[in-house]
Amino acid sequence: MSNNILEVKDLKVSFHTYAGEVHAVRGVTFNLKKGEALAIVGESGCGKSVTSQAIMRLIATPPGEIKSTSSILFDGKTDIVKLSDKEMENLRGSEMGMIFQDPMTSLNPTMKIGKQIAEGLIKHQGLSKQAARERAIEMLRLVGIPNPEGRVDQYPHQFSGGMRQRVMIAIALACNPKLLIADEPTTALDVTIQAQILDLMRDLQEKTGASIILITHDLGVVADLAQRVVVMYAGKVVEQGSVDDIFYNPQHPYTWGLMRSVPRLDNDEKQELIPIEGTPPDLIAPPKGCAFAARCPYAMEVCLEADPDITKINSGHSASCWLLHPNAPKVERPVEVGGHHNG
Amino acid sequence: MLRFILRRLIYGIITLWVLITLTFILMHNLPGDPFANSQKLSPEAKATLMKTYGLDQPIWVQYGSYLKKIATFDFGVSFNYPTRSVNDVLKQTFPTSAELGMYAIIIAVIIGLTLGIVAALNHNKGWDYVAMLTAIIGVSAPAFVIGPLLSYFIGVKLGWLPPALWKSPEYKILPTITLAFGTLATMARMMRTSMLDVVSQDYVKTAKSKGLSRFAVVVKHTIRNAMLPIITILGVALVNITTGAFVVEQIFAVPGMGKFFVQSISTNDYTMIMGMTIFYAALLIVAIMVTDVMYGVVDPRIRLAKGGK
Amino acid sequence: MQTVTQDKFKPVVKTGNNERVVRQSLSYWADAWRRLKKNKLAMFGLIVLAALTILALIGPFLQPYDYQTQDYAARNFAPSGSHWFGTDDLGRDQWVRVWWGVRISLFIGIIAAVLDFTIGVLYGGISAYFGGRVDDIMQRIIEIIYGLPFMIIVILLMMVMGPGIFSIIIALAATGWVGMARLVRGQMLSLKEQEYVLAARTLGASSWRIILRHLVPNALGIIIINVTFTVPGAIFAESFLSFIGLGIKPPMASLGSLVSDGVAVMRNFPWRLLCPSIVFSLIMLSFNLLGDGLRDALDPRLRK
Repeated sequence: MSNNILEVKDLKVSFHTYAGEVHAVRGVTFNLKKGEALAIVGESGCGKSVTSQAIMRLIATPPGEIKSTSSILFDGKTDIVKLSDKEMENLRGSEMGMIFQDPMTSLNPTMKIGKQIAEGLIKHQGLSKQAARERAIEMLRLVGIPNPEGRVDQYPHQFSGGMRQRVMIAIALACNPKLLIADEPTTALDVTIQAQILDLMRDLQEKTGASIILITHDLGVVADLAQRVVVMYAGKVVEQGSVDDIFYNPQHPYTWGLMRSVPRLDNDEKQELIPIEGTPPDLIAPPKGCAFAARCPYAMEVCLEADPDITKINSGHSASCWLLHPNAPKVERPVEVGGHHNG
Repeated sequence: MLRFILRRLIYGIITLWVLITLTFILMHNLPGDPFANSQKLSPEAKATLMKTYGLDQPIWVQYGSYLKKIATFDFGVSFNYPTRSVNDVLKQTFPTSAELGMYAIIIAVIIGLTLGIVAALNHNKGWDYVAMLTAIIGVSAPAFVIGPLLSYFIGVKLGWLPPALWKSPEYKILPTITLAFGTLATMARMMRTSMLDVVSQDYVKTAKSKGLSRFAVVVKHTIRNAMLPIITILGVALVNITTGAFVVEQIFAVPGMGKFFVQSISTNDYTMIMGMTIFYAALLIVAIMVTDVMYGVVDPRIRLAKGGK
Repeated sequence: MQTVTQDKFKPVVKTGNNERVVRQSLSYWADAWRRLKKNKLAMFGLIVLAALTILALIGPFLQPYDYQTQDYAARNFAPSGSHWFGTDDLGRDQWVRVWWGVRISLFIGIIAAVLDFTIGVLYGGISAYFGGRVDDIMQRIIEIIYGLPFMIIVILLMMVMGPGIFSIIIALAATGWVGMARLVRGQMLSLKEQEYVLAARTLGASSWRIILRHLVPNALGIIIINVTFTVPGAIFAESFLSFIGLGIKPPMASLGSLVSDGVAVMRNFPWRLLCPSIVFSLIMLSFNLLGDGLRDALDPRLRK
């Protein structure tokens, strides 16, 4: 049996809108090892949230559509794309849990916290109401909510944003899932609370051994929590590798751009933040060549004509860029990126 | 919560007082002579009458005694039939109207909500169009159009149901449908919109991500939350059904309060109108108050808030 | 690996600018109009409404009768070549009377909407603009008025002022503005807090510019939607009042009084009920369809 909890292969997701078919995810392939934390990064609209929701099968169909040639192999045996709705229900919540971006809206305002945690336990583990409640209190204690016995019967509006996100984590982890998907779990929170939530997630990952997919556009969060990184652009993976590969030896100009657009503390040199110019392409009519070509300072004629192949850099590190073609001119990587390895 | 109820109560009382005062002022400025309908009265007889009704007193004294009477639920006697007190008429006609109104609101809520839910769950499919069509007919053809049509086609032409009067149960079907229809349509429409709104909420996604069945997600997370805004329009629905009864009772010759009210209007029976108006208004203001408080009880965000809104 | 000739690896020369927006952007109103045009039901409503308006204007002139002349030789005629909608028990031509009723309905609907809009925007605007104590008092007043059963107040007012078109308009205006005032105030207050207004302020936009360029266009959509529903509301209220005998004075015709007369004689002369009922329902239907369409087209949250 393979060592991968998740194998996503050629995932394609479209949305049918009045203006035409939006190709939100266009052939994404990556693996997630057991116990690993993988970050998917990219700017808004690059398809990272759609990818995560496709894994949970939370995409409304219609208007959404997961193409039947895609496959999402869970735990080496189940192809999520081919499961019936009923089979998917049994997988969701028990084998995989999800945390959403905005804790203010992702809890049911008219249901007690305890009951919201207990629901999944009753469904998947067949616990009695009483037992599920006990377990809910235990979960609340685990995610660091003080006085869980008193809090369990309260409603979401009686919790602060950070506390609600802890509750969401408790819901997602209640049934000990093998996979936890966190879609921008800290974006809507204050900076100090962000750190606490990340600490909690790291701590719980160590305790439960769950694998994590972390969707984010915040590279600071990536460095904090993830071991591996997938960089997405316009519905495709442009580069993936270990955190070290991506931070210190990035190969794709888009990744360079991402790195230059965030401040870094590990670099003594004076550094200027440089935004990536332009906007992503329209995914109703995606360009024929490399999607990033229009914004890429190194774009060549070939980039406009054909999509580049995936080039392996080392065993876990690969990128899709024509610059990696043996015939391509050598391009000096911008100085600010990476530099010497000091991690 | 207590403060919330108290606040609603105080508003209700103020509204009622404003209404009573308004009624009093308006009735005092009515054109014409309240005794114009009676036969030629001698000035002495008129003066006696004025005295009996207290109309010779200064206006603020009249107002004071009027308020006092209202507070003791004494609405006075009819101008046109001095032997008939407003209270007697209310006692006689209210049960009929209450029965009709009750049927109508129950039908409207149950069928309306069901239709709205089914429509939203089948968004842009068959049932959705049925609900939308019902909603559109409901607002386009109010009771005074749909009532006569039902009475004519189903009552007179087809002869399936009695076209008028209020006797055995089959007599009650057409008036109930007529009265319920508009509100039913509004309910269906509101529930549909509310459901569609809730369906796209994040917490429904959370519920799905727990692996709950579609049924559990819909019943426990969607419908429950979608019903909250519906409670706030229950008060309005009650008002519409009450005023709708004015014409429905007229069309189907139902011996209720509404029919009597319209009759009093056409015969200028001032005290009767005044008494019934205040009774109606009090009823509706209380109904609105109750739905407001109900909303507070159902929504924990309001129920548990310290010191009301 | 794909085979690519060497010359393809020349850098491309970039022209034009990267910041162009990919999809064509439409102005708010152009987009709203585009979406309204695509809405078949709304366009149906608009066309029916236009047809009804034209018929209301010219309808009475298409027949050689007027709305009040009685003709005892022509009582209770069924619809025919000379009386398209038949005649009533006083021998008056129903076609002419129905279209006079439509004239009254449309007139009242439009005037009521204008008055509601004016009073509501003024009241709500003042309340939101001044805020604080003024707002507090004005809102308390609204809360009390809002609790009053609207139709009962209208009936009381009608009794005092007597029947007639101006009484109806005054009664409707006196009670109808509250919803609009609440709406305007709510819109103004929430828009004041919006981040894009803050952004505009930070960029140094003047208050007038913010009001004209940001607040008005954003609030206007919702206000227009409200107005399109005020019109059928007022038309309904007038017909309701006329039906119970409090609205338009005879011999002038109103759809409500025509239906009411029709109910009394429907067993023998059903067309007297059917003609005004159908026309009335068409008016309500077209306004509501148009209103729904406008709501879908103008609500910025629904833009795709």
